[in-house]
Amino acid sequence: MSRQNEAEEQRRQRGQRALLLLSLAFIAAVTLCGFLAPLLSPYSPAGLQEGRILEGPSWSHWLGTDGLGRDLFTRILYGARVSLTVGIGTALIALIIGSLYGLISGYSGGPLDSLLMRIVDVVYSLPDLLIFILLSLLLGRNIAGVLLALGLVSWVRFARIARGQVLQAKEFVYVEGARAIGASHLRIIMRHILPNIAGPILVTLTFSIPAAILAESTLSFIGLGINDPYSEWGTSWGTLAQDGWRAMRTYPHIILFPGLAIFFTILSFNYLGNGLRDILDPKGK
Amino acid sequence: MPHALRIAGRCALALSLVILFISCRPSSEVASDKVVRVNLGTEPPSLDWSVATDHVSFNVIANLMVGLTEFDRDLKPGPVIARSWDVLEGGKRIVFHLRDDVLWSDGKKVRAQDFEYSWKRLLHPKTASEYAYILFDIVNAEAFHRGKIDDHRLLGVTAKDDRTLEVRLRHPASYFLSITTFEVTYPQRQDIIERYGAKWTEPENIVTNGPFLLASWKHEDEIQLRANPRFFLGRPAIERVDMYMINEKTTALALYEQGRLDFLDNHSIPIFEKPRLVKHEGFRSVPQLRGYYYGFVTDRKPFDDARVRKAFALAIDRTVFPKILHGGEEPATSWIPPGMLAHNVEIGVRYNPAEARRLLREAGYPDGKGFPQVTLGYNTDEDHKIVAEAIQGMWKQNLGVLVRLENQEWKVYLSKLQSDPPHIFRLGWGADFPDPDNFMRLFTSLSGNNNTRWKNRRFDELVDLAAREWNTQKRVQLYNEAQKILCETDLPIIPLFTTAESTLLRPRFAGLEYNSMSRLVLRDVRLKNSQ
Repeated sequence: MSRQNEAEEQRRQRGQRALLLLSLAFIAAVTLCGFLAPLLSPYSPAGLQEGRILEGPSWSHWLGTDGLGRDLFTRILYGARVSLTVGIGTALIALIIGSLYGLISGYSGGPLDSLLMRIVDVVYSLPDLLIFILLSLLLGRNIAGVLLALGLVSWVRFARIARGQVLQAKEFVYVEGARAIGASHLRIIMRHILPNIAGPILVTLTFSIPAAILAESTLSFIGLGINDPYSEWGTSWGTLAQDGWRAMRTYPHIILFPGLAIFFTILSFNYLGNGLRDILDPKGK
Repeated sequence: MPHALRIAGRCALALSLVILFISCRPSSEVASDKVVRVNLGTEPPSLDWSVATDHVSFNVIANLMVGLTEFDRDLKPGPVIARSWDVLEGGKRIVFHLRDDVLWSDGKKVRAQDFEYSWKRLLHPKTASEYAYILFDIVNAEAFHRGKIDDHRLLGVTAKDDRTLEVRLRHPASYFLSITTFEVTYPQRQDIIERYGAKWTEPENIVTNGPFLLASWKHEDEIQLRANPRFFLGRPAIERVDMYMINEKTTALALYEQGRLDFLDNHSIPIFEKPRLVKHEGFRSVPQLRGYYYGFVTDRKPFDDARVRKAFALAIDRTVFPKILHGGEEPATSWIPPGMLAHNVEIGVRYNPAEARRLLREAGYPDGKGFPQVTLGYNTDEDHKIVAEAIQGMWKQNLGVLVRLENQEWKVYLSKLQSDPPHIFRLGWGADFPDPDNFMRLFTSLSGNNNTRWKNRRFDELVDLAAREWNTQKRVQLYNEAQKILCETDLPIIPLFTTAESTLLRPRFAGLEYNSMSRLVLRDVRLKNSQ
């Protein structure tokens, strides 16, 4: 490798690291702000101010107000809780179901593996949005319902990746060695296989979070998302955007700011995922 | 990278949906001078005026047909096909004298028999019309509708000859003339309906008598009306009306601004755009005989207690509604809307948070403590959502009670109101005919539309007495007493406001307005420069 290329590569890596750190910082800031919202904002997320309806950004209302005179900045802060909880929660549910499933499938092999994977194929081929809609109607339109609905759809990705990784890891010499000296299945899985597949799964997890946030926003946008301005949880970003889109031409701020919040959060998670993959799973690049 | 691909895929899907929305627009032909393009919003469920129940259908029918009477600017029934009428036997017999020069679109004359047939068809159990009850004041009508009488000759509606229609009523009904303005009482052609069956309303079959003819009907897409050259009150000034079915408000507004639609109403104007559009030359806001209310399910805790209901009513500041809805809504504390006989602004409870808290304490829930979890239901719509969130806020602030909001699509919502209603529900009521009976009878014990399960014998009695009273002053007194029960003492409902219809008409036209009964009247539309 020429010196010039090396320098370029180093610059590239530095740039990537900076992006990774920036993304991490943004995610941390959003999380912190979301959960400290009552301390950060003097307004209530539900406080009706009939004299200040549909105002643009100003000193007293940094991001303006909505159709009921509620402070948009405050609503976005509270919305961060919902959107992040849905994102992370869904990804975790999917991770647990999917990895276990993939682990069992890959480790057992044979006809059970084939059967389990055909089921995954079936679930994978179902249209996501339709299933979200059906499940969220069934489970109710609260945070738990949406979490479960999204989790129950997105686990298949984890199942496939986990199975693939297990199939590879099973063939490694040290696993064979462990088996030869009579280690139990549980021990083999816990000590020898899991640590080896953790990297790719963690990377998948990071990519699942923005996908879940986007999916929740989609649900909210078609009117099936989380909207409960008075609960501790409040209204999700997707619902805020939905509130605003009909006013888009005259009062663009109502959709712009929640939209930007969704955009930057998803972007950050994607950069984070990319960065993590470079570190944890350099082969999968 | 499959994740990125899926995300990209979703974006592509969203984009294609947007493109689909935008492309669902009327065909881009250049408007000829005498064509008005309006938006119906949805496909009319039926153009059979014995079956239709919704205003989209009636808005088409009202331009295809005329009936015995129509109401004038003061909402009094005036002659159309009926030249005159005699009210006989103290109001128990009404004889309509028909004009001789009204033609059906196939050239035949409109006869009294066409009315007799149409009214009997409306009442026939097989037609299963939801509006059959509107004629129940006619002798034997209710028994005929319920199948207790088979012989239609026993009904109190008879064509004495081609020009004379006689109606006999069970008891004097002061509002009966107003009923004859309603589309469901318009005449029908027995020969046509019997020949074509359910397909008689298709453009190639239908026979009508009004200012416009049904030229074409592309289902779920477009209806075209053509001026009727033989209309007996004179051919309309415009040649053609194109009625589109665009159900997305934002799309409809964009089409208007691109010059592809000429007229928008509440179903086509997003609420947040109203403050901007008010300044347009063609913008009008017409108060409607349409009440917007919250009802309580009164046979269940906690709203079986009138004090609780009153507390909830006292905690609502109605001045907020016109500010958040931007459409000229009129806050209302009583039920009979302005513009109608017996409207009375004095009746009803006004915003008084201190009194509201006192009543709630008296009912056993000081500061909302111990109040059970209750749900407020509404049908999915941005207006209803914003009203619900505003009221939710007022109840939280003034009573310390947090109600849960729940919304469903209109049809699901309606069936839920019957099977498993939320504690508090949103509904509106628009006048079918401009008489207070139409509004007050809604909350009588026998009304099929009374979802509150509230029954009050004195109220029922007052409404019946008022219906039979021909003396206007006495009627007003009876309705005042009934409204006090409804809106001050018992409060099974909280009247919130009466709505207004916001309309936007391209300035080169004039004369197109909603009337106060939410009817789109196209007969008088003309080009401004051709006056």
